[in-house]
Amino acid sequence: MLSSIFEPGSIAVVGASNNETKWGGRIFKNVLSGFKGNVYPVNPKEKIVQGVTAYSSVLEIPGDVEMAVIAIPSGLVLDAVDECGRKGVKGLVVVSAGFSETGKEGAALEKKLVAAVRKYGMRMIGPNTLGIVNENIGLNATVIGRLPNTGTISFITQSGTLGLAIADWTIDMGIGLCKVISTGNKADTDDVDLIEYLDNDPSTGVIAMYSEGINRGKEFMEAARCIKKPIIAIKTGRSAKGAKAVFSHTGSMAGSDEIYSAAFRQAGILRVDTIDEIFDAALAFSCQPLPNGNRAAILSNGGGASIVATDECEKQGLDIAELSGKTKEKIKSIIPAFASASNPIDTAGASSYDVYSGVIDTLLSDKNVDAVIAIYVHTVMSDAVPPAEAVMDMTHKSAKPIISCWMGGAGTEKGTEILKKGCMPNYSVPERAVKALAALVKHREFLDTVKIKGTKTGGLEGGK
Amino acid sequence: MTVLTENDTKKLLAGYGIPVTKGSIAATADEALAIALNIGFPVAMKISSPDIPHKSDVGGVVLNVGKEDVRTKYNELVSRITKTVPQARIEGVLVQQMAQPGHEVIIGLKKDAQFGHALMFGLGGIFVEVYKDVSFRIAPIDRNEAVGMISEIKGYPILKGIRGKKAADINAIADVLVSVSEMAGKENIIELDINPLVAFENGVIAVDARAMVE
Repeated sequence: MLSSIFEPGSIAVVGASNNETKWGGRIFKNVLSGFKGNVYPVNPKEKIVQGVTAYSSVLEIPGDVEMAVIAIPSGLVLDAVDECGRKGVKGLVVVSAGFSETGKEGAALEKKLVAAVRKYGMRMIGPNTLGIVNENIGLNATVIGRLPNTGTISFITQSGTLGLAIADWTIDMGIGLCKVISTGNKADTDDVDLIEYLDNDPSTGVIAMYSEGINRGKEFMEAARCIKKPIIAIKTGRSAKGAKAVFSHTGSMAGSDEIYSAAFRQAGILRVDTIDEIFDAALAFSCQPLPNGNRAAILSNGGGASIVATDECEKQGLDIAELSGKTKEKIKSIIPAFASASNPIDTAGASSYDVYSGVIDTLLSDKNVDAVIAIYVHTVMSDAVPPAEAVMDMTHKSAKPIISCWMGGAGTEKGTEILKKGCMPNYSVPERAVKALAALVKHREFLDTVKIKGTKTGGLEGGK
Repeated sequence: MTVLTENDTKKLLAGYGIPVTKGSIAATADEALAIALNIGFPVAMKISSPDIPHKSDVGGVVLNVGKEDVRTKYNELVSRITKTVPQARIEGVLVQQMAQPGHEVIIGLKKDAQFGHALMFGLGGIFVEVYKDVSFRIAPIDRNEAVGMISEIKGYPILKGIRGKKAADINAIADVLVSVSEMAGKENIIELDINPLVAFENGVIAVDARAMVE
């Protein structure tokens, strides 16, 4: 069971040491710092590791051990894993490298490793993983220095270093994570197992993936089609084309990238191009409900930003909502006489609480509007706080999503802080906001078209 | 791994209800004429060899051949190919019905190690080669998906008929896509091109095709 890996009651760190510049030492320190259950260092050369009694083998640990992190040279891994099996350990995180990623000999060793893991009915992440994080139980079995903020986004990454750097970066981004999983070589647990586990994990609301390749394509598609939680993926290697001699046009056109795009779309996985987009979309999913359609209303205190947003809507396949006459009349009464009351709404500089809350409220009440993009462009004459408060008050009242874009940097901090604290997906430029909304719309379409009906509904659906 | 000739590939397609041009292989000039008389004129004549997947690249295709030219063209084709591709095993010459002009589209399959068969659709000719205006799906697909594949390419308006040109039979193209999707797994296909499939206002016909099977 993967729950033994992510939600263990007790953990042994094989290769734990007093040297925090080494993997075992660092990971042990991190596990010890936040995890509430029993933690045992295993190191035959030390009596005490970081103040905790050490054991020369997992077999000598007096209590039960549910999960073991293995961070020792690859040549010693098989013996350690065998001991874990005999001890009754249920889950392994094998950080050790030197397996299939290194060539033929390593691949042979990896085969033996998997056989040993399966012989005892254990499950394994790795080898060659940079570890896992489970925010919900304060478990940081990686080398990153600080735990990300707690949220509902779980992140599966095939690149360990990239994944951990991103996990660290989310803290500054104000994005909350749930689980971070560096898959390593995926010798036992692979993407199919992981998305199914995360689907059943009530604390995961959004699944984000960095992938270099999927092993069981058909099974992955089937699993993904049954998952209602949004899955956002970046699949790298877009430029890798089929290089062999050409027999058919189809053969030369159907590179691996085209095939991944088709497979992901048919499985209802949102494929994005950049790392920014994964987390922009994930943030929107984790904070806002899904729209019922693709008709967006745009509000801005400056014309330029709303035009940029309108252009991007067009690019992303979002419609600019046609407002009802009643809505326009009401908006006219709220905004200055010389401002524009048709969508996109340009308040011609007005950005008071009353203008923003009044316009947003009116837009949300219009049956022709599925979502609102609220833009605020900072000037020396305006205050970023009142419109931010208006957005927060309106989002609490509405079942339709609102996406915000507070532009301007210096001077907007107090406003963006309100939005961030209130879990409002806020972006620095209109294009990012529109793309995030487009992700919500796309997922709504996936739910209506490609996702297999009648299966269990994941867990969280937006933040409301 | 076996390369099927055009004739064998078309037999395979016909077995799944895909309309193909009429034709047979002639081993002599006399046979060629007999086949042509049976089909009606003009005919297309194509060299048939498992070693020549791209027939026109080596001068192995002659189109619009009239009654009086069939025998000469047969001899010319065989002697030309014997010179240009001396190692090729020549089965003879495929004598074939000339299709009426229509919208040329391409439908293909490629087996992928991870996802199984990928199905491709696009407009034929320069559209596939230069603009790469194609759509993909992982097989199997249903009819809705097939229509989706057709309508999502940029050149779709061309198929709907623009500037007085007749529309293509989208339903008939979708039928072929579904049939190819069904065929993919059953026939152990590694790669397949139907290029072109000519689409008329009513109906379609596979004019050229090649396949590689396991």
